[in-house]
Amino acid sequence: MSCANFLNLRFSFFKLALKTQMEYRLNYITDIFIQPTLTGWIEVLLWKGVFLFSATATIGGFDQSYYFAYALWAAFVSRISANWMYEFKMIEEIETGSINSILVKPISFFEYYLYQFLGYKIGTAWISLIIPIGISYYFNLPFDPIHFLWALLLIALYLVFIFTISFIVATTAFHLTKVNSITIAKNLALWIFTGELIPIDLFPSSIKNIFLYLPFSSAVYLPVAFITKRVDFDTFKVGFISTSISLLLVLLVANAYWRFSLKKYVGTGA
Amino acid sequence: MIVTKNLTRTYQSYTKAEGLSASIKGLWKRNTIEKSALLPTNLVINQGESIGLVGANGAGKTTLIKILSGLIYPTQGEVTVLGFTPHQRNPEFLRQIGVILGQKNQLWWDLSPNDSFALLEKIYNIPTVTRKARVDELAHWLNCEKLLTTQIRRLSLGERMKMEIIGALIHRPKILFLDEPTIGLDVLAQNKIRSFLELYIKNENPTLILTSHYMADISHLSKRLLLMSQGQIKYDGPIDKFIQSFDEKKHFYASFTEPVKYEIDLGFIKIPYEAVEISAEINAHQVTQAISTLLAHTQIKEIKIEERNFEDVMRQFFESQI
Repeated sequence: MSCANFLNLRFSFFKLALKTQMEYRLNYITDIFIQPTLTGWIEVLLWKGVFLFSATATIGGFDQSYYFAYALWAAFVSRISANWMYEFKMIEEIETGSINSILVKPISFFEYYLYQFLGYKIGTAWISLIIPIGISYYFNLPFDPIHFLWALLLIALYLVFIFTISFIVATTAFHLTKVNSITIAKNLALWIFTGELIPIDLFPSSIKNIFLYLPFSSAVYLPVAFITKRVDFDTFKVGFISTSISLLLVLLVANAYWRFSLKKYVGTGA
Repeated sequence: MIVTKNLTRTYQSYTKAEGLSASIKGLWKRNTIEKSALLPTNLVINQGESIGLVGANGAGKTTLIKILSGLIYPTQGEVTVLGFTPHQRNPEFLRQIGVILGQKNQLWWDLSPNDSFALLEKIYNIPTVTRKARVDELAHWLNCEKLLTTQIRRLSLGERMKMEIIGALIHRPKILFLDEPTIGLDVLAQNKIRSFLELYIKNENPTLILTSHYMADISHLSKRLLLMSQGQIKYDGPIDKFIQSFDEKKHFYASFTEPVKYEIDLGFIKIPYEAVEISAEINAHQVTQAISTLLAHTQIKEIKIEERNFEDVMRQFFESQI
């Protein structure tokens, strides 16, 4: 297969995700605009309440504009970093046996879903991020455009990492069939680890350091804190290092686990 | 082209007693059982052969197809298809096979057939011009050109199956695995798809492995029959020979211009006094003697001797296996 064919095939998967999602317009618009806007609005209100009843003008060294900016960006960035949708799809394919139609074609199940996942995320992120950029400028919230571009790079790296974790969870369906509860438990843990719920810098320093050095902080906390000028580049680059190392490890595990699990597959439902 | 040596497959399952307490016990302890879906199977299939793989549910035919197409690993034994080991899923091997699983959608539910075929073009690395010409050709044969731009989820089952067939043939596979291609279709759609496949096999001469519960599919599309029961191949040979070897019986019917005047013994049936017609199963070698006897003792109005069809013979075979 030539390089052009190789890229063409991956780009086809990339486009497949967008075409599929755009068939259902209301769902598409809700997913990229309404859902994160509502989440961001709720978070901003919560922080407004916290500051209203707080005796000080700052919490953890930051005033309320930093928290509003964090809550706003966290809502949109966490939507981009999440992978429950494609994880459920992969699990369902294995659980119901519809994976058979992929296994009999000369394509890799991992790549087939990875490029769809990236296609959907990249194809929707740039539209959805217009909202926090606009609001940040309009309300003069902390925002750095150069940091924003760096943050996008880290998020892209994290997406490959979290997709690989999802792939491992989905592969478990070859053995246990029903594994959706693992996805839900994992997502709840990520809610804390990523800093989506509250900024990681508000935790006691021992916990904060552990969370910072885990790759999950690259999902929300590090990119959002860097965009909103909450952390410096030295702290931010920890995300690149931890996510890159973790990605290599999970890729190795995913490859070995997939090969092992295919041997157990019984071709359900065909 | 396809060679298997002592190919076997067992599945693991577990048993559970009735009731909630058994479910609670099952949380920490389960009784695992092993079931042989395929007993040691030796098989050689040459290029261009059309194989009808027939058996009752659970006979092992789908397991055999899954192993040959690389979907599952065998438990023991060897298998090579086109020189490849199927379960290694070498892309070169997968580019040369086409699979239709009658109960599964292989095209993309939310896309139109044309969008799906464009994606298959990239997957199988086919030039766009070739893909378009191929789709036009197959759509013309199947008379479904107007459906190519409608979202697949909005097509009827018969229309969807036509699209599945185009999708499976778009890359001109050397081996075609068809697992129940006409399942759930009405009689008209079944006939249309059967006729198309007949024409396709004649024109392109692929190796065909077909399973179907409709004996008309098997008798029209395949020349060699592989009859499976309880994980074993019970018959491997031409369909006609199977019908002859399994049973020589024919259906015999006679009617008379006036009631029979006395009881007549034909060997396979006794014709009672005043009968005006008879109907019975007869062995082939008894036919001549029966007609001679009837000519001598009755006024014959009509005689019919009917061959038993493939469906009847298969039904009798399956009943004998229970």
